[in-house]
Amino acid sequence: MTAYGVLRSEWVKFRSVRAMLGCLAGAVVAAGSYGYLFGMAAAREYLGASAADRAAFDPTETAFRALVLAGVLVSAVGVLAVTTEYAAGTMPVSITALPRRGLLLLGKGAVVALTTLLIGPPLALLSFTLSQAALAAQGLPSAGAGDPGVPAALLGAGLFTGLIGLYGMALGFLLRRSAGAISLGTFLLILPGMASLFPKPVARWIVTWWPSAAGARIFAVHPGTELLAPLAGAGVLAATVLVLLCAAVAVFQRRDA
Amino acid sequence: MIELRQLTKRYGEVAVVDGLSFDVRPGVVTGFLGPNGAGKTSTMRMILGLDRPTSGSATIGGRRYADLPVPLREVGALLDAHAVHPRRTAFDHLLSLAYGNGIGRRRVEEVLGLVGLADVAGRRPGGFSLGMKQRLGIAVALLGDPPVVLLDEPVNGLDPEGIRWIRTLTRSLAAEGRTILLSSHLMSEMALTADHLVVIGRGRLIADTGLETFVQSAARQGVLVRTPDARRLASLLRESGATVRPGADGGLLVTVMSSAEVGALAAAHGIVLHELTPRRASLEEAYLELTGDSVEFATSAAGVVS
Repeated sequence: MTAYGVLRSEWVKFRSVRAMLGCLAGAVVAAGSYGYLFGMAAAREYLGASAADRAAFDPTETAFRALVLAGVLVSAVGVLAVTTEYAAGTMPVSITALPRRGLLLLGKGAVVALTTLLIGPPLALLSFTLSQAALAAQGLPSAGAGDPGVPAALLGAGLFTGLIGLYGMALGFLLRRSAGAISLGTFLLILPGMASLFPKPVARWIVTWWPSAAGARIFAVHPGTELLAPLAGAGVLAATVLVLLCAAVAVFQRRDA
Repeated sequence: MIELRQLTKRYGEVAVVDGLSFDVRPGVVTGFLGPNGAGKTSTMRMILGLDRPTSGSATIGGRRYADLPVPLREVGALLDAHAVHPRRTAFDHLLSLAYGNGIGRRRVEEVLGLVGLADVAGRRPGGFSLGMKQRLGIAVALLGDPPVVLLDEPVNGLDPEGIRWIRTLTRSLAAEGRTILLSSHLMSEMALTADHLVVIGRGRLIADTGLETFVQSAARQGVLVRTPDARRLASLLRESGATVRPGADGGLLVTVMSSAEVGALAAAHGIVLHELTPRRASLEEAYLELTGDSVEFATSAAGVVS
């Protein structure tokens, strides 16, 4: 029972279920289409803004916002890697083949993390390129992929999606049902988008500290000082995911399969 | 060898498995019987480390399942034939389980051939018949060529040819010296397949005995009597401590009394007998008699547990 064998085993499971591959494809579509739409929205905002606001315009600010929405599908990949096993009833079979459940979870985590990590930078590049193209098409200031801070944001996207994939997997282990885990996972991910519904201090806290908002700071090309620094924000997300994973391990090992 | 010692599983107040102790020995097919909800599947799940016993232990060759270094090489199990992802091909299903146990593609192809699924290896089990899924489940159980095999209701939903195949397979696995624990509801099938029986009811051991002994223990007590004076004989028999039930077409089924005693009683009271037949029960009858209700099995348990 080698780590390599466990990895191969989980990879066979991953590649042979269409739902996960479908979600990855969906994430590409989401990153591209929302990237373009956010670019268009930024352009409209620019055209209606005052001269002072125009001078402060940062074309990269909305370039990666689509990644949070694509993240919904990335987290679903993590969820499904677990819940498809519960739904098909294969979890007991998997556990009898690999009764060291911690190792089973780790192997699954490695496959989920690796695939979702690898897809992050391409998703980010797609979103970035289309949003900047939307700006440039209207003759507005836009950024290039080689501009200072952009390559770091593109690579950081891998960290973001990798963590989001693990976040989904942890929810999958905790809830065991696709619908429940995906709904909850989605709600928690996009909550910062609804921050304005809350009283100001709460909204402020959410935008700063809510794990998905903090984690998205990794995309800040010009971070400023108002919110968390990119790596600090990613650290908040990573810590949250770690707590969820520990809970998942504890529950998975204790629960009857 | 599988060893259960005071194995118990409680959900709150309810004991699904209650202080179960028995051994499953190598070289024979051990049939595992009990009514629905008796705790057979729970017992197997605890042997396989899927459910955590409330107390007691289940070990395989002295070790808990979770402590086996390469479990599929030591124990093979079929619990639920439906436990396959409908879109993952038969080959990939086996391969994903094989890799974690250091088993390669060659063995996967081999077991697919062994269970007769070589032609559909690349097909998705979503379209498989129950019989094909059962075969796939057996392939999983045999993947690591294990010395211990647990099969939970393997003949469910199989056609006569499939049932016969399972019978031949389990018997030959046992003949090779493997330890086989097999549960089934089909008594006629169990009578043909098992050498040894473990019967449980409400989570408790009712019988742990050879198949022949088990059947005889029930048959010994049965006598079919036919007489024109049935009512009088029945009340006389009851007064003498026998249990009397109406048998087929007007006969009386007498238990807990030998045919000689019944005959003597009838003669002593001048009752004419048309038939007096010691009945050898089938496994099914023996089983039903023993598991019929909790009162019955409580009284007969002492006599049968060996």
